[in-house]
Amino acid sequence: MREVAAVGFGMHPWGKFEDKSVTELCRHAVEASLQDAGVQWRDVEAVAAASSRFSGGKGWGLNGNDVVEDMGSTGVPVYNLSAGCSAGANAFNIGYTLVASGAHDMVMVVGGEKMPKGFIQTSGVEEHTDPEFLRQRCIGMPGPAFWAVLCRRRMHEHGTTEEQMAKVAVKARKNGALNPNARYRKETNVEEVLKSALVVYPLHLFEICAVSDGAAAVVLCSAEKAKQLTTKPVWVGGSAVATARFDDGITRGIGGMVPPGITHHSEAKAAVAKAMSQAGVGPKDLSLVELQDNTVYYELAFPEEWGLCEPGQAEWLLEHDETTPTGKLPINPSGGFISFGEATTAQGLFQICELGWQLRGEAGARQVPNAKVGMSQTIGLGGNATAVVLKN
Amino acid sequence: MATVHAVEGLFADTPNGPRLLGSRCATCSAPYFPKSPVCHNPECTESKIEDAEFGPTGKLWGFTFQVFPPPPPAKYDEPFKPYPMGFIDLDDGLRVLGQVSIEDLTKVAVDMPVEMVIEPLFHDEDGNEVVTWKFKPS
Ligand SMILES: [Zn+2]
Repeated sequence: MREVAAVGFGMHPWGKFEDKSVTELCRHAVEASLQDAGVQWRDVEAVAAASSRFSGGKGWGLNGNDVVEDMGSTGVPVYNLSAGCSAGANAFNIGYTLVASGAHDMVMVVGGEKMPKGFIQTSGVEEHTDPEFLRQRCIGMPGPAFWAVLCRRRMHEHGTTEEQMAKVAVKARKNGALNPNARYRKETNVEEVLKSALVVYPLHLFEICAVSDGAAAVVLCSAEKAKQLTTKPVWVGGSAVATARFDDGITRGIGGMVPPGITHHSEAKAAVAKAMSQAGVGPKDLSLVELQDNTVYYELAFPEEWGLCEPGQAEWLLEHDETTPTGKLPINPSGGFISFGEATTAQGLFQICELGWQLRGEAGARQVPNAKVGMSQTIGLGGNATAVVLKN
Repeated sequence: MATVHAVEGLFADTPNGPRLLGSRCATCSAPYFPKSPVCHNPECTESKIEDAEFGPTGKLWGFTFQVFPPPPPAKYDEPFKPYPMGFIDLDDGLRVLGQVSIEDLTKVAVDMPVEMVIEPLFHDEDGNEVVTWKFKPS
């Protein structure tokens, strides 16, 4: 496998854009990434795109084909990747593999999404074999309740307080306020978070990510090409995809096995371990982490599940400001999902753009000092997960 | 007006009491709810699926309260009343999701011993009482 460089990062800001199509959002991101790389659309040899269930894609998730038609039908191969909220970084993994294998020298990875209003719903079909339908009809348990149960268990095991969970949101929004691409750019405080509507106990509105529109794109190329374009390329140290293990205790349907070990997202843990191992880095080498904070719970649970800190230590790190951009373990300096909201399939790519800008020292007021290695992670429906390590 | 199940075939009031209707692999004893046609355990040497009943006793692993009326396809009676729900670890090895049937919501606790019951969930357009599995403190 060859070395792969990430030479262009582009993003349309996250928000709600009633009068823009997903194709327009993607065009903005793609053009920005090409400009950032200093290359033309006709230099792109292949496209790896995240498939959306919600917007564009001709109803078949053909979002990459939409982008190619829009940017110019150069006849390049297009790979449309479906992996729920993991699709963005899953597409990145395909783009990475295409360059690493020598099949192509320059690949565009893109994800864009326009989301329907409200919480993400089921397909709407009353299908008795669909576990999502059974959970909502037989138990009255919508999606966010799943996070709430995990969260309440953590409170029991580690004594996590509602104030500490609110502090995660406060930290996220403080970073988001410094990021021009974030949707929520106003700082908040513990009192305001706890006074925001209780969505599902113990989680409040400000502690759960909203649904947003957004798009992001990354240009990947061979080392040879990268050296023609820049003197300081960002390298892809690792790009991994994993799916869930059978017995991890995360009840993705309505029933499963009482796990023999601790309950955890095995797909995320596996992807993270694989990406770090590929990159030859350990927890201590990470300058920053962009993790999937659909809810504040994950920012406390994930670092422990991945061995970035000891079980029960996440609250201590938070309380001592060690997860801020200037702390020992900066988490989500971008502002995370809490500040961006979720444009599902594009999420993995906004994270990778943040890693790139941080490593190049272009992150402005939210810059992690002397950032050298960054890791991002997503999880998606179906037990999908990804992790990416970028390094200087 | 009759009593109907929220979804047919998932639970029953058996001669031994309320039980969930699932399956279990005779080789590796992995539990499945709802029923699974094959064993999904990658360590299992031979998939041998048999019908199995689960419940009634276990512990509440974690919980939450639904404080707003849930969106479709969930259904509820007006006026909406908040309810607790969670993951229940049954003594027979199945982790199952369910509502907690309890009057005093302040009494819901992690690791609380619970027992399966079949209780009303909502009333349908024809006035039928629609029931589902829930768990009450035991
Ligand atoms: Zn088996």
